Amino acid sequence: MQNRRAFLAGLAAAGLVPQATWADAGNPSFLSAGKTPDGRYVLCGLDDQGKAVFQLTLPGRGHAAAAHPNLAQAVAFARRPGQFAVVIDCARGREISRLETPPGRHFYGHGAFSSDGRRLFTTENDFENARGVVGIWDVAKDYQRVGEFASAGVGPHDIKLLPDDVLVVANGGIETHPDAGRAKLNIPTMRPNLAFIGPDGVLLDVVELDPSLHKNSIRHLGVGRYGQVAFGMQWQGDAAANVPLLGVVRRGEAPVLFDTEMADVEDLAGYVGSVGVSDDAGLVGITSPRGNVAQFFDISSGELVGRNEIQDVCGIAPLGSSFLLTTGMGVVAGSRESMFRVRSKYQIQWDNHLIAV
Amino acid sequence: MRWFLTCAALVLAPITAFADPDTESIVNGHVMPGVRALSVAATQLSRAAEKDCAADSPSLRTAYHQAFDAWISISHLRFGPSEQDDRAFALAFWPDTRGKTPKALAGLLASEDAAVRSPKDFAEVSIAARGFYALEFLLFDPAYSEGDAYHCALVRAVSGDIARIAAAILSDWEGGFASAMINPDGEPYKTQAEVAQQFFTSLTTSLEFTSDVRLGRPLGTFDRPRPKRAEAWRSGRSLRHVVLSLRANQDLAYYLSGGDEGIDTAFQRAIAAASELNDPIFANVDDPTGRFRVEVLKQMVDNLRDTIAQDLGPALGIAAGFNAMDGD
Repeated sequence: MQNRRAFLAGLAAAGLVPQATWADAGNPSFLSAGKTPDGRYVLCGLDDQGKAVFQLTLPGRGHAAAAHPNLAQAVAFARRPGQFAVVIDCARGREISRLETPPGRHFYGHGAFSSDGRRLFTTENDFENARGVVGIWDVAKDYQRVGEFASAGVGPHDIKLLPDDVLVVANGGIETHPDAGRAKLNIPTMRPNLAFIGPDGVLLDVVELDPSLHKNSIRHLGVGRYGQVAFGMQWQGDAAANVPLLGVVRRGEAPVLFDTEMADVEDLAGYVGSVGVSDDAGLVGITSPRGNVAQFFDISSGELVGRNEIQDVCGIAPLGSSFLLTTGMGVVAGSRESMFRVRSKYQIQWDNHLIAV
Repeated sequence: MRWFLTCAALVLAPITAFADPDTESIVNGHVMPGVRALSVAATQLSRAAEKDCAADSPSLRTAYHQAFDAWISISHLRFGPSEQDDRAFALAFWPDTRGKTPKALAGLLASEDAAVRSPKDFAEVSIAARGFYALEFLLFDPAYSEGDAYHCALVRAVSGDIARIAAAILSDWEGGFASAMINPDGEPYKTQAEVAQQFFTSLTTSLEFTSDVRLGRPLGTFDRPRPKRAEAWRSGRSLRHVVLSLRANQDLAYYLSGGDEGIDTAFQRAIAAASELNDPIFANVDDPTGRFRVEVLKQMVDNLRDTIAQDLGPALGIAAGFNAMDGD
């Protein structure tokens, strides 16, 4: 078995086995998990008009996905605390591999490929030790798990690759344990951070916010082409506090928090569900499915340049100098500043995240 | 835009089925009696510990049970006064998935930490060593209930700390939070609807906790049931917490739904099923029949939560969103 695998991998590396590329999969621009009216959980590919180009059934409710940089392969992650992730050949419409976390670990629902497409990195919970880890999976070896490294925090959620191949991990700080459902176990002592980690697992930088914001769980990330990291937060303290829920940072620099004045924080109900940075890195967009609103900011000045009220909006991904948005009501919409245009309506309820291919 | 209007109409349709919740009645009829009862019972607990700190003291144990009952009956109100200074966590550090409470207590006992002598210092010890679940170890676990002088001081310190936290919660409610909920005009609530939504969230979160944690933890998996993970099993309170919490939730749901009979009856059935379990600490979850009955109860709680989320939520202006209630 091992030999056959290695043999096939060798062929693949030598370009002898025709591996499907994204062109073969209908050139989707985006991926999103969702739920169909008949109760099936699916992963869909969407083109830049929001039209579905494929739809594949998943074994359970998905959360986010990761798209391979060149092969037409997507990894769909179970919603936390799931222990499965499915590798899908998006051109042939079939599952080609399944990732299962080793004992004592579960996925958090996010992952990222290395820029050469050889490795997949996944955020995971080492729940008996209440520490976050990043699992490493070898793409050429049928997504075999080849190791892990510390995420440098508790409760790692989103993970993204920066243009210089450094990984950035949002350590949300919240301790959970699969035996206790989704109960949050350490709110009084939680300490979220943003960790910059080399692809070899070496910790390069950790960004922590002021201790007064230790209950601001850093959860979701958007990355700009110049290495800007926009991070969205979810407030775990008392609801009355008006705290910033969005920040932008570059590795090695101090984070800039988009304060309550400009960010209209009350709109967000303490909860940012997704973050996107436009392709030209000029705008950052955030969504709040609790506040039913999307907000857009100039990434440099921090100025609020637009907001749209949209029921159950959560997925956001860059589309040129603007964004594509998805909602739990089945809407796919384009948005820029105050303009907001429904592109497609589906019977599918879109899950939290829209992923650019 | 037209699509949104259609959608809004669908979402809002069930409103006619429920009267607008009377938030003043919820505060005065549901919250305040519970918060006062906790403060009274916690004071009595502290007094009982001062009089007799022996782990097997009948009066101390009675006071412990009464105060714990009072806490569980308001433990769903996780906002405002209970969240200030992490008071709810300090009263109730559970679930303790990694055994921090026994570790923290062992540390205090071994070092005879002087923090027990000052309320201010004790408020700074590990949150896992405070509150009802820590006190349970000190009164009911043979490894932590040996009665030397330091143990006695620790029992008194934990009990006194509980009483001070309960008093602080009551003081905040009486000192402005109750009126801020009754007459919302800015901070922290702007409208009656926001107040109703806060109570709604308390209700659904509490039902989720009962299902996932109070029942789910001891159930474990079929191959590996975990009865020793039941809540407060050392003092025989696991099932009691399910019943107390469901009763408190039933009361809140009755107010929120304007006395909806369907919801009330569903609560009644779940409470009856729980009361008939005859398994106070879920010891029978490793027996197929015993397990099945706990699973049925869990399913009833899940159904209750679904009904409330789908029927009552939209009436209070909370759409049954696909992503909104996730916490992901």
